[in-house]
Amino acid sequence: MSEKRQQVSRRQFLNYTLTGVGGFMAAGMLAPMVRFAIDPALQASSTGEFKAVEDVENITEEPTRVDWEIDQVDAWYESTVTKTAWVYKDENGDIVALSPICKHLGCMVTWAGNDDYPDQFYCPCHDGRYYKSGENVPNTPPPEGLDYYEYKIEDGTLLLGPTKPRGEA
Amino acid sequence: MQWNKQDLGQYFTAEEYIDTLLIPLMQVTFKDQKEMEKSAVQQETGMIFVREMEKQFKGRIFLMPAYHYLASEDLSAEVTRLNEWAAKAGERSFKHVFFFSFDPHWKKQERNLEGNLLWMPAIQSGDTQSKETQSIIKNQVAQLTDLIKTYW
Repeated sequence: MSEKRQQVSRRQFLNYTLTGVGGFMAAGMLAPMVRFAIDPALQASSTGEFKAVEDVENITEEPTRVDWEIDQVDAWYESTVTKTAWVYKDENGDIVALSPICKHLGCMVTWAGNDDYPDQFYCPCHDGRYYKSGENVPNTPPPEGLDYYEYKIEDGTLLLGPTKPRGEA
Repeated sequence: MQWNKQDLGQYFTAEEYIDTLLIPLMQVTFKDQKEMEKSAVQQETGMIFVREMEKQFKGRIFLMPAYHYLASEDLSAEVTRLNEWAAKAGERSFKHVFFFSFDPHWKKQERNLEGNLLWMPAIQSGDTQSKETQSIIKNQVAQLTDLIKTYW
């Protein structure tokens, strides 16, 4: 038995060991390099992200507030941010999704927020007003109309993405 | 508006519109574990409250960095200091000063404060992520913002 046993020579042993260890080291160096190289391609873009917010059939001609959450990552924190939109169907049945951020100084506007103007968006801070279309009412503080949300419809669900100022619409 | 460079930049382009200062008053204590935990929870929920209020009225409310003080039965020394804040703020465009706190000791000092005290009992749940707490906070913030509106 012991005579038949394959003797591993010193040379073979060293060869195997060095190849093995060398292979591990090479893999250890290459793997992160490959990962870093393709990393930008794997990053989900957070700005272009669309989120499902509401079933299209629930949306009426009356602007309704919808809230949803997105994960926002900046240099120091990762946080969950609540986003809000006013959503309705216009006379052609097309979806309109408006940002609630007043273009004057950034307060939150509400639909019919003032009893005197039941068919306008109203900003409580400085009495800024917007028509249903989101256009600003002249002679109120806001310099331009409310931003639009970009939207998509998938399987009867409304998805909202980033906002877009009126000038580019 | 918040106390950061970007918002301050915007503030100085529209100073006349931002006439309301909101100062959170945060109690700090070293007494024992229970009291310290209570103070930490109040700090956390309190900041959620004031940030939400600021978000609603960004164009009119300036949220100051929180004013921290050692827990005490008698806050008259703090009142003197806060009134200096209010006086300095009045030299700018601020006409309304609101103090926000969960500490009931401010209630006694309310009439000495040069501003309006928004005091409310603290929420002691500690879990600010839970859905119930979130909806309670949203609801209470809505009531607080309505209250602030009546002063404008």
